[in-house]
Amino acid sequence: MRTLLASLVVLGLLAAVPLWVESPYGLHVMILIFLAVIQGESWNVLGGYAGQYSVGHAAYFGMGAYVTTMLLQFKQVAPWYGVWVAVAAAVALGAAIGAITFRLRGPYFVLASIATAEIVRLITLNWKEFTNGAEGILLSEVPPFSIGGRVLTDFSTKAPFYWIGLGLAALTIAANWWVQHSKLGYYLQAIREDQDAAHSLGIPLARYKNYALAISAFFTAFAGALYGLYVGFVDTAVQTVEVSVQIVLVCIIGGIGTILGPVVGALVLVPLAEALRANLVAEALFKLGVEETSRTGLFLKENLAHAHLLIYGILVVVVILYMPEGVVGFVRRLLRRRPAARPAAGGKAA
Amino acid sequence: MNQLQQCAVDLPQSLISGVLQGGAFALVGIGLTLIFGVMRIINFAHGDFLMVGMYLTWFAFNLLGIDPFLSLVLTLPLMFLLGAVVQKVFINRVLNALPQNQILLTIGIGLVLSNLAMMFFTSDYRILSTSYSSSSVKVAGLSISVPLLLSFLVTAAITAALYLFLLKTDTGQAIRATAQDRDAAQLMGINVKRMSLLATGLGVALAGAAGALISPTYYIYPQVGGAFTLKSFVVVVLGGMGSIIGATLGGVVVGVTESVAASCVSSGVKEIFVFVLFLLVLLFRPAGLLGKSRM
Repeated sequence: MRTLLASLVVLGLLAAVPLWVESPYGLHVMILIFLAVIQGESWNVLGGYAGQYSVGHAAYFGMGAYVTTMLLQFKQVAPWYGVWVAVAAAVALGAAIGAITFRLRGPYFVLASIATAEIVRLITLNWKEFTNGAEGILLSEVPPFSIGGRVLTDFSTKAPFYWIGLGLAALTIAANWWVQHSKLGYYLQAIREDQDAAHSLGIPLARYKNYALAISAFFTAFAGALYGLYVGFVDTAVQTVEVSVQIVLVCIIGGIGTILGPVVGALVLVPLAEALRANLVAEALFKLGVEETSRTGLFLKENLAHAHLLIYGILVVVVILYMPEGVVGFVRRLLRRRPAARPAAGGKAA
Repeated sequence: MNQLQQCAVDLPQSLISGVLQGGAFALVGIGLTLIFGVMRIINFAHGDFLMVGMYLTWFAFNLLGIDPFLSLVLTLPLMFLLGAVVQKVFINRVLNALPQNQILLTIGIGLVLSNLAMMFFTSDYRILSTSYSSSSVKVAGLSISVPLLLSFLVTAAITAALYLFLLKTDTGQAIRATAQDRDAAQLMGINVKRMSLLATGLGVALAGAAGALISPTYYIYPQVGGAFTLKSFVVVVLGGMGSIIGATLGGVVVGVTESVAASCVSSGVKEIFVFVLFLLVLLFRPAGLLGKSRM
């Protein structure tokens, strides 16, 4: 109850942000964080609770982005209708991929999830008449959203995207909470801990893995649709293995199988990438005494802006070696070791 | 019908090119299978090691003027060292971790390698052009590319040497014993840590060697590894995880599939055929085409 109340307060505060934050860049970073939260929490349902480490979630993300964008650009279908087609397509794709990959276990499942997502990407890339191939699709405009003739927003600012992102992120987190506390969640965790034991207790493995994947693909496709509309451009870069890996990293770094994990992961990774991109890190290093005009300084200035994947790589290695339960698990263990230091109830509930 | 007829006419040519291409794929796959066999870890950074091998070869050629095929004497030991260091510093510490975490660790190592390469060498495509890069010989009406032929012969030699090493020497047998049963091998007095070090070193060296061998015919860029990582999984799964003969066969099957699909359908979709084949084998012959998995 206290958690719910605190979550609602946090949600309310976050919803009010665009009313007094004018900086489009600030909102932009927040939207990217929301996208990462939706992706990470969606992946968490399948990877975290059911223990099925899919490295092919870019397929569902891409499906959401492509179908919504194509319906809008080629058929003039408004995105708030189109997105349902996109999401249905992603869930159907998930059912097909699940039918193939869920017979496999451990590393073989990981490999198959990559292979299926790559097949989807290659089809998108080569089906030029349908998808525009490597050129991608450039959206001309997002139509204004109206109810009963009254225009609510024309998407001319970042604020509507912010609210949609926040709403979807909250929904995805709520879905995780529901999964964790439902029979479905217990079944999934049983499958994660020991497939054979779960099977012998009468849990239909394939069916429940498919349920988890359906939920996961559903929300991932929403993230894809939002991304496509927000960026206004979609190409096969949204379907690459790199995207799948980044989705997994959000969870790994935050903490797998926890509700808070993907949120923490997104809060670490996205601002880090943005700080690098805006050269804030290089400037901080200069203030700390690195000579800006020296060879090292010039090298840093030139390269740190594109270094976010390098830093992600280092982070994941460090996390796997030193805190395999992610930041959330690590902090929890620290707190448990020193019971005197009690966590604050309010700020940690989102 | 026209394209189908054309591709039937071209079939012998596609087959020979595919087999020659497959040699390098086999070498990457053997490296992966060796690491998997001894440590049960799937190395997702494998293609990135191949990328490092390509850059080493490029620099050896452009700075020192060493021919890519001769530069193997330099690339192999350097890559072995790199593999041994990665084993000692990282992989050794996750041997008992969850398989997912092992995979993520190697994904992280791969990200670091490819992005370091981008930092230091930029994302420009580099070409290593030797005097024989585009030359070919005609045999019975078929044209055979000289660099591909050379790389195939060197691959065959390396594979044979590795096979003899694993089969005939004490160290080789110790590696195989570790692959068969780590605990039993340890009880027999085999230093399994040392065998793991050797296996990763060798595996990474083979990926580097493959990089050296294909560098006269491929673009060299920091992200080239990703495609090869995937391809090496396919090669290894086709042949059965942990089997060296299987990986050799798998390499050739992948090479031939790609070149026939490229000539009969289009080069854009050749990889779809490889991945579909991969999934079919995973589902229906999980132990690989040869049916048993052993080293």
